[in-house]
Amino acid sequence: MIEIKNVCKSFEGRDVLKDISTVFEKGKTNLIIGQSGSGKTVLLKSIVGLIEIDCGEILFDGRDNRRMSFKEQKLLRQEIGMVFQNGALFDSLTVEENVRFPMDMFTNMTMKEKVSRLNFCLDRVNIKASNNLYPSEISGGMRKRVAIARAIALNPKYLFCDEPNSGLDPVTSILIDALIKEITSEFDITTVINTHDMNSVMEIGDKILFISEGKKCWEGNNTQIFNTRNRKLNAFVFASPFSKKFREIRQMEDDE
Amino acid sequence: MGVFYHIGQYCLLMVRVFKKPEKNSIYLNQLVLEIEKLGINSVGIVAVISIFMGGIITLQLTYNMVSPLMPNYIIGLGNRDTLMLEFSSTVLSLMLAGKVGSHIASEIGSMRVTEQIDSMEIMGVNSASYLILPKIIAVVFMSPLLFIISVACGLVGGLITGPLSGVVTVATYVNGMTTQFNPFYAYFSIIKTLVFGFLIATVPAYLGYYVQGGALEVGRASTKSVVNTSVLILFFDLVLTQLLFK
Repeated sequence: MIEIKNVCKSFEGRDVLKDISTVFEKGKTNLIIGQSGSGKTVLLKSIVGLIEIDCGEILFDGRDNRRMSFKEQKLLRQEIGMVFQNGALFDSLTVEENVRFPMDMFTNMTMKEKVSRLNFCLDRVNIKASNNLYPSEISGGMRKRVAIARAIALNPKYLFCDEPNSGLDPVTSILIDALIKEITSEFDITTVINTHDMNSVMEIGDKILFISEGKKCWEGNNTQIFNTRNRKLNAFVFASPFSKKFREIRQMEDDE
Repeated sequence: MGVFYHIGQYCLLMVRVFKKPEKNSIYLNQLVLEIEKLGINSVGIVAVISIFMGGIITLQLTYNMVSPLMPNYIIGLGNRDTLMLEFSSTVLSLMLAGKVGSHIASEIGSMRVTEQIDSMEIMGVNSASYLILPKIIAVVFMSPLLFIISVACGLVGGLITGPLSGVVTVATYVNGMTTQFNPFYAYFSIIKTLVFGFLIATVPAYLGYYVQGGALEVGRASTKSVVNTSVLILFFDLVLTQLLFK
């Protein structure tokens, strides 16, 4: 579980995060949604420690990242897996070496154990016969899946995904969402996803945090989001003609 | 003020770079790769440039210095000392600042803008040390070797060009090459190459590590790294020459 208490952050006098508090639960896919520039990436990077917050607390199962010694912070980071928007795979390493990298760096596993874990992770994300390819030689969807495999290589307690569906076709997006959801419940990890993909919201949003202009505007789940009267959220969720049509049909069904 | 900010930031980065590695075996593998990439892959260009420069210095010495008052062996001697004192240490380092320095800045800069460095940091890896330390050791280790190769190739260049153009005989050239050899020149130049090697690895690494933006900024950092490293090499050449020859 990750608790966020009164977090604020500003850049050059401009408030980007304003007093945000929420709880991301274990074994659930927690979504941060909001328009571009609303502060969701800053929030995600603040949680993982890439950006230092100005005030507030971020607790990982009760442990405050900011009050930890350097050694403790390092250990905490080994419990974190992160999937970046473009995968952030290491260009100079093959698929296999990318997934093995955290194992090589932080464990004393034998080569046999590493290979076994590597095969398990790659199987889990359905990557086959691509072990020796470089990131530049695989598709965007595959890159995301390899990034997920690398993120789960060390059995993380917390998984963070920054817009995992960006740049992917709808079919691959659904597959990636399903994969993240499965992994979350299978390994009982706390997953936090940064997205503005409404398919993801509908499919895997166990808990949704809506941010607007750096403030928490709404939180709930993927059922509640379609019945809310929050104007800002409605404007965001029902922005496309497709979702407007969906809302009309739902309202008609409710009226009947 | 900007200069002091960069000096401070550079020093802080170096503190992170020289922290104890997470796993020695991984760093050792990286070191071998960097030695190959930054050092061994530069041998060819160093040899070619040095052979040509050795030949050019020989011809210039012949056409501008040799007179009835000067012995002919001055050609070999002049070529040797020019190569040892300045060309194979300073000019070669300027060339390496272009080849190796821009490579380091663009490699690390690209990793920064594509979030590969962030991804390492999240894993708990000291990205500064993992990415930069093997490069520093590789360049500092390879610089004196490249210097030796350069001197040797430059002398061979002179040995080919001089007798071929008929300005000096092989025997006179070799006689000049071996006359009045001062070992201090070699020590002085090796010290210089070690300092220049450190600059060639760290200045571009610093500029690449803190790059912000996209491909355009990576390109700018790469160009900036060549300019800054070259100026610093010349500055330290001046300082070291004054200090060591005093």
